[in-house]
Amino acid sequence: MALLQISEPGQSTAPHQRNYAAGIDLGTTNSLVAVRRSGQVETLPDEQGRHLLPSIVHYAEDDILVGYPAQAQQASDPLNTLSSVKRIMGRGIEDIKGLSNVLPYEFDGSRDSTVPRIITRQKRVSAIEVSAEILKALASRAEQSLGEQLAGVVITVPAYFDDAQRQATRDAARLAGLKVYRLLAEPTAAAVAYGLDQQPDGIIAIYDLGGGTFDISILNLNKGVFEVLATGGNSSLGGDDMDNDIGEWIINEAALERVDASLSRQILIAARRAKEQLTTQDSADISIRYRDLSIQLSLTREKLNELVQDLVKKTLMSCRRVLRDAKLTKQDITNVVMVGGSTRVPLVMQQVGEFFGRKPLTELDPDRVVAIGAALQADVLAGNKADQDILLLDVLPLSLCIETMGGLSEKIIARNTPIPVARAQEFTTYKDGQTAMAIHVVQGERELVVDCRSLAHFELRGIPPMAAGAARIRVTYQVDADGLMSVIAEELSSGVKSDIIIKPSYGLTDREIETMLRDSMAHAQVDIDARMLAEQQVEARRVIEAIDSALAADGRDLLSDDEYAALMEQRDRLFGVIESANTEALKKAIKAMENASEEYVARRMNASVQKMLAGKNIDQVEM
Amino acid sequence: MSQILRQNFFELFGLPVDFQVDERELHTAHLKLQSAYHPDRFVNASDQEKRIAVQQAAMVNEAYEVLKSPVKRARYMLEVGGLDIQNDHETTSDTGFLMEQIEIREELEQCRNCNDPMRGCEHITRKLDRRSREYADHFEALFEQGKLEDARQVSKKMQFVQRILEQIDEYQFDIEDHLI
Repeated sequence: MALLQISEPGQSTAPHQRNYAAGIDLGTTNSLVAVRRSGQVETLPDEQGRHLLPSIVHYAEDDILVGYPAQAQQASDPLNTLSSVKRIMGRGIEDIKGLSNVLPYEFDGSRDSTVPRIITRQKRVSAIEVSAEILKALASRAEQSLGEQLAGVVITVPAYFDDAQRQATRDAARLAGLKVYRLLAEPTAAAVAYGLDQQPDGIIAIYDLGGGTFDISILNLNKGVFEVLATGGNSSLGGDDMDNDIGEWIINEAALERVDASLSRQILIAARRAKEQLTTQDSADISIRYRDLSIQLSLTREKLNELVQDLVKKTLMSCRRVLRDAKLTKQDITNVVMVGGSTRVPLVMQQVGEFFGRKPLTELDPDRVVAIGAALQADVLAGNKADQDILLLDVLPLSLCIETMGGLSEKIIARNTPIPVARAQEFTTYKDGQTAMAIHVVQGERELVVDCRSLAHFELRGIPPMAAGAARIRVTYQVDADGLMSVIAEELSSGVKSDIIIKPSYGLTDREIETMLRDSMAHAQVDIDARMLAEQQVEARRVIEAIDSALAADGRDLLSDDEYAALMEQRDRLFGVIESANTEALKKAIKAMENASEEYVARRMNASVQKMLAGKNIDQVEM
Repeated sequence: MSQILRQNFFELFGLPVDFQVDERELHTAHLKLQSAYHPDRFVNASDQEKRIAVQQAAMVNEAYEVLKSPVKRARYMLEVGGLDIQNDHETTSDTGFLMEQIEIREELEQCRNCNDPMRGCEHITRKLDRRSREYADHFEALFEQGKLEDARQVSKKMQFVQRILEQIDEYQFDIEDHLI
């Protein structure tokens, strides 16, 4: 497939320079990092040769341990050793209450933040900060292995993650100081790894049951294009829940009355071990010693099947729904690919096989396939020339809605709509002189707003005062390729853009992130102000270079004299402030420059694509 | 949103403004356009270019969705033809059509209470599918004759039928859900 090469200004594609990029699978129980080098994509091991990094962070008095060293503290110090925090990414305090079995931590929801903090001996931490520690550990593993700095990363998220969960993941990467090329859906990443390995054009189902999340995605694979047709799942269902079911069985069988956090953790560890053994054995011995307590039990595979059958059935219901959303039948599926450690449970394998009427593929290591796919995509996005170009087209997993009268939700963008997507809606004012209005955006499929996930309250301000009903405010909801939403509002009769104040329902504000960054920087003795200034200077130079090279390439063909003059004025103004040490002034000048050049840049981008397609029928363009 | 692509959806996809669309051709064209416009092609560009790329790729997706669906395509053709369909009320004065709609809804209601609702639904679906095709043909003929106002009336009927078909589909899915 000859790539439609668009050489855009600012997109440096120097032929010899190789940008190293990594794919990161940030999992509920385990995380991995993979890179591509010398044409090979591989997950990277630690010094002991272990590829998986347990997603566990231990907060000691004045030290932070990540991975195996943290895991070693889990049984003895459960409350300061945080695991499975992915389950609370983008969640509020009330969501967490239902997870107290899996997450036996002390939470602090009283602070002036929508993001709950876990109380540890060292400090109060959010799931986002814990995830950032895991990301840092993985990035540093990659950088040590490569001997190079990472130019950027692709981080995978469950396909069924909503906007708040995705945003939380992005924030974690920001705290870890990583440039994120893309958040990639886990099943899509698996499809990439699988597709490039086997080259199978056709329709595949990716069944991904991880530690805490379940995804089912149907993709159409066609010459390097991975098109998600529909996705579904449950972002709070996985192997953890199986362990929990087994744990409850242990508690019942052993007739335990009081279970403290430490015993609870030991029971879950034993439960998981038994579950894993039952992948190859017919029965597993469970042995727990705690203080004067001694538990000896035997769990048969038959009993395990009974314990997890409801969970498996739930996943199959999602499979049905997703087939229907894709407007396909089981017979249309050419292959079923199993991803995620929990698909090793024999009942899962058997029931999924029965449901789709074909034997699922398990050639690729279900633990590593997601990281490998992410690394492939990261390498392509880093601008390294791949043997085969790939294009990933994803969908919105859950409908975006707004709250209307009576607490009802009105769908703006339906689930499984391909992204990026933008939908506009018109509103009017209902009072004379009204200059502000509020919009509540939620995500989910239910009819009542309270049953959906609240994403944010948008407050539009600066609407020009007019008679009631005279203002026409167009609100555009946009979802980018990462599945993240933004809102733009414009008053149509005056063309005034409204200021939008966003209050995320479950997320860190910019200020909170900045504070966290400052705290972590203070630790590392780096001046955050200097870093922010440097970032703006880089962006300013990039913007100027982009305009200069664009004008050098096509002269003033796409611009009127007035437009050209306005553009140059802002360009020179921006150029003048680059060296000033004022971050805010620089930000403003960049913004002004962008406003002045918006139309021109768009025309140019469009023209370059058009030029490629010109003179040919679209289907004659070589892909 | 000043810089969306200055073309109508048909032009963007390199197609004539015609109701007949080859689904495969459309799909191929869509993939080609996305491979040029998708934001992944601009990850190393400036923030501004990234933003524009998101908007352009969103428009390509929008165009594909409209062109793919016969009902949306028909409505869009009217818009390209110069009619204002944004403020179109979903009403029709065709009493014959209205009577038929009422009958179908009654039939669907009866079907919910009958012994074999699945078969009942299939029967109604077949009937509606036939109707869809008739309306589509009719729309196409009227559009070609330049009778846009008449075509608009037919496009509304297409919308009605489409909506009921979706409802039946959802209902059938629920029945199956309960059987499992």
